[in-house]
Amino acid sequence: MAPLSWRHHTLIQSLLSRGPLKEDDFLSIFSQLTVKNSGLRQQQERKLFNEFLRKINAELSFVQLELRACRNQYDGHVYYGIVNNVEDDQSKLGTKYTVPQIAFYRGIVEAIIHDAQGEGCIFNTAALYIRLETQVHGATDSQSQGGASQIPPAFKNFSMSQKEKTLDQLVNDQWLCSMPEGKIGIGVRSFLDLRSWFRTNEVPACEVCNEAAIKAQLCPNEACNVRLHSYCLQKKFSGQRVERVCSGCGTQLQGSTVKEELREEISNANGSSQRRAESSRKRRRRPHPEASAGIDTTGDDSPPMSKPKRATRSSARLSAGE
Amino acid sequence: MSYAPEIASQFDIPDLEKDKLVGEVIRYILFKTEQNSGCPIRREELTQLVTAKGYKQRNFPSFVIDEAKSKLSSIFGYEMRELQRSRPSAAANTGRASQSQQSVGDAKSYIIISKLPSDVYGKFVEDKSSVHMSGLTFVVIGIIHLAGGKITEENLWHHLKRLGLHENEENHPKFSNTKQALETLVQQRYLQKEKVNGPEGNIVHYELAERALDAPIYDKIKEYVSQLTFLMISVLHYFLTDGAERCNAIGI
Repeated sequence: MAPLSWRHHTLIQSLLSRGPLKEDDFLSIFSQLTVKNSGLRQQQERKLFNEFLRKINAELSFVQLELRACRNQYDGHVYYGIVNNVEDDQSKLGTKYTVPQIAFYRGIVEAIIHDAQGEGCIFNTAALYIRLETQVHGATDSQSQGGASQIPPAFKNFSMSQKEKTLDQLVNDQWLCSMPEGKIGIGVRSFLDLRSWFRTNEVPACEVCNEAAIKAQLCPNEACNVRLHSYCLQKKFSGQRVERVCSGCGTQLQGSTVKEELREEISNANGSSQRRAESSRKRRRRPHPEASAGIDTTGDDSPPMSKPKRATRSSARLSAGE
Repeated sequence: MSYAPEIASQFDIPDLEKDKLVGEVIRYILFKTEQNSGCPIRREELTQLVTAKGYKQRNFPSFVIDEAKSKLSSIFGYEMRELQRSRPSAAANTGRASQSQQSVGDAKSYIIISKLPSDVYGKFVEDKSSVHMSGLTFVVIGIIHLAGGKITEENLWHHLKRLGLHENEENHPKFSNTKQALETLVQQRYLQKEKVNGPEGNIVHYELAERALDAPIYDKIKEYVSQLTFLMISVLHYFLTDGAERCNAIGI
């Protein structure tokens, strides 16, 4: 294959140096680099862009890295970043965070994904009270020297001020994000890096895009587990003369589109919006389109997820083909 | 990856295995650079990655490192620059030279530098949030260069103070702990520190280290410093030629 040019190198280096970039910014860099092609229509430019990415990833696979995109679930924006696909001795080096800091981060991520309301965030005061000891059980297999009951002193002595500093650092580095009203959410880097970890750990997925539904709209029917990202919801029901109803149980979903009135008319004409009994809770199994072997790059083994708070959670779920 | 047959045949190791090792060396370099903020990586760390796997063939570690260098260039556009670790001049002078010559073979270290043209780098790659460190690096190297390549700690901070950086400041808006910022330059091997026993007790000296003395960087520093010196002389000349009038104009 023809080697990568300085243009490809620029795209790679910009992501490595500046961290994850918003789609607009990344595309803007691309446009400026390929300025001789500026006469192209948007579709053709997009095709060229995809070709660039394909070529970059073919080369990056030599070192188990990947240039990938993900969506920031809080605002729906797409971000591009370079992620590590394999956890090995080398990647465990690649962090400036100490072991207790990483345990603290993982504790926060787990607390956020367990949010039963699908808000995808927790109060930063709650984050500060997360105990590192809960992370020890997950790291027993290959990492710790002693038994599962041995909690490293560094974990016990991790002070409140250290937690505050770590929290600031994590937000600064985009592993977490700062949200209004003093809340903390998952940062863009985490969305990129932990994609496969979310799957392995059975984080409920969005019905439309099959990605982890961390910040998502839940079906109003408490017995139903269906979740949808708000941007997926908009996309699914915009411009269609279909009822805005849950695909799992048929309950009407909240919406604020122009078609609101039309929807109401249709559902009134049908007579009832509840079509299925509460007994059908099992999710349909769908094959996972990509078999990504990506693992958490923060350095520790993935812990088994503790039981989620929502009582109605079903056992069978969409799973990654691993 | 296809290796040149005459080279690869020296080692009776399948290409796939060689690829894996080269990949691991590259990953080590990338992740270590991230972890230690660009401090040079010693060659012995890289050779160890190979020998620790049990490969005993002579020259095989060198082969793997060379291939890693080539791939870092072709995939990422990074140059793997080799630096020769410099010894503090004081140590060499006081007869500790024999000790410093002991491990000359291991004195090589590597940093990765972008090969992109500087305008492209500045526009698309440079991380604007870390520009202050580049500024500090240039200023400190410039000061030490002007001082003849070596300066006492006290003197260095005297000059930095005039630029607004205080030794004991811990909450600087850009650098937080300014002393730590200077220490980073030592870890990155732009500077080296040496404690010298003087009549008044221990004095700490700073000298330029291998990264600052590396030809392309050192030449640029000399060029910029001489340009600034020229500029200063031109300004002085400007005021000396029509002295009084021009001084009055600016209120001196």
